[in-house]
Amino acid sequence: MFPSPMGGVFDVPDKARRCHLPLIALLVLLLGASGDALAHAVAEGDKGYIQEIYGINLISFIYLGAKHMVTGYDHILFLLGVIFFLYRMQHIAIYVSLFALGHSTTMLLGVYFDIGINSYLIDAIIGLSVVYKALDNLGAYQRWFGFQPDTKAATLVFGFFHGFGLSTKIIEYEISPDGLLPNLLAFNVGVEIGQLLALGAILIVMGFWRRTAGFLRHAYTANVANVAMMCAGFMLIGYQLTGLFTA
Amino acid sequence: MYNTDMPSRAELPSSRKLIRSTLLAAVAATALMVTVVLPAEYAIDPTGAGRLLGLTEMGEIKEQLAEEAALDRANAESESMQGASVAVTPEVEVNEVTAETTANQTATTAAPVQEETEVPQPDATWRDEVQFTLSPGEGVEYKLTMTEGDVASFAWKSERGAINFDTHGDGGGNAISYEKGRGVPEDEGDLEAAFTGNHGWFFRNRNDSDVTVVLRIDGDYENLKRML
Repeated sequence: MFPSPMGGVFDVPDKARRCHLPLIALLVLLLGASGDALAHAVAEGDKGYIQEIYGINLISFIYLGAKHMVTGYDHILFLLGVIFFLYRMQHIAIYVSLFALGHSTTMLLGVYFDIGINSYLIDAIIGLSVVYKALDNLGAYQRWFGFQPDTKAATLVFGFFHGFGLSTKIIEYEISPDGLLPNLLAFNVGVEIGQLLALGAILIVMGFWRRTAGFLRHAYTANVANVAMMCAGFMLIGYQLTGLFTA
Repeated sequence: MYNTDMPSRAELPSSRKLIRSTLLAAVAATALMVTVVLPAEYAIDPTGAGRLLGLTEMGEIKEQLAEEAALDRANAESESMQGASVAVTPEVEVNEVTAETTANQTATTAAPVQEETEVPQPDATWRDEVQFTLSPGEGVEYKLTMTEGDVASFAWKSERGAINFDTHGDGGGNAISYEKGRGVPEDEGDLEAAFTGNHGWFFRNRNDSDVTVVLRIDGDYENLKRML
């Protein structure tokens, strides 16, 4: 059973950030994302749209949640790290569920109780989660400290941080209080759908790669990939911290 | 590596399975692209699915906002090139109330619209009163020319549907938003100019049908202008 019928080239406009692989992420980071424009103080794009609507808009928010996840390279990178050495579908399901549980909890609580964390700071922590997982995959903790930290706990805990990242973004969207809870739940459903789509794409690419002789016989290529991922994580941290101190 | 044991090659999905998955993914992505992404991002909806899902509306709003933002930037540029702040759109001096007699399905019969919608403040005499009808998606902006510290009192009411508004001001390189609201039927209060410039209201109808708004203003200001 290979449950990834969906995913792949879920393409989005050029302004949006898209990627499933570290190298593309690096390029995207360099390009950056465009900001809001001032039209009688009205934002454009997703934020502009959200600021125009009120009441329950389930399908719209499902779409926005899925888009956020699919185009959010930081979440995708962490997900890639988590499933890097998972081969069985039931293992993947457990870890991905833990991640989903983590980020859903803090996302909903964060928005509902309006817990705004500085978005640069939280995104830097998300970058750190990528670095952590890459080091974990490289076996650094066993080598350095002589023990293996619980991978499931780490997935859950970093899931909490990713959720605060999501909630911080949602608070910036200024969703109308009219219909907030249903819309928020719809956004969360969308995030999970987006995660499954991205996961499908990752699994297909990894599937081809894992079949190559090198991947199984020696860990060299896998190590290169994890170092590249760690590099992307460090760049995310630097990018966000620079934002924190200059904005 | 440290999560689970290495699988044997036979445990991995076969090449045939992977190629099938890739094709399925491409087909699913194309379907989602046409039915979901294009409508929601660009209001391009060849199948009609986007309209059904309500996502085409999202695309239309985004397109509209983008157009208005481009227009706004162009105006700001030409304004800064001219140096002087001249209202670009045709100004309408508004003391003549445009009584729109079009869709009068509710109680109102053409003539005494003002009386009908009078705010319960018998002693209040307003300097200006405007009435306008907005079709779905349409926006309008009215502004007062004010100097810093001027206070204007206002009351507006939207009939046949609530409305989105942004009470804001700009001038001399400053911009401010005093209050924003979505789906609000009426509002009243005082607007104190935070700086010298144009201060007023942007209204947008996000309902499926026309709404009629009556805006009344009094207090310290030079004149009332329709900006867009």
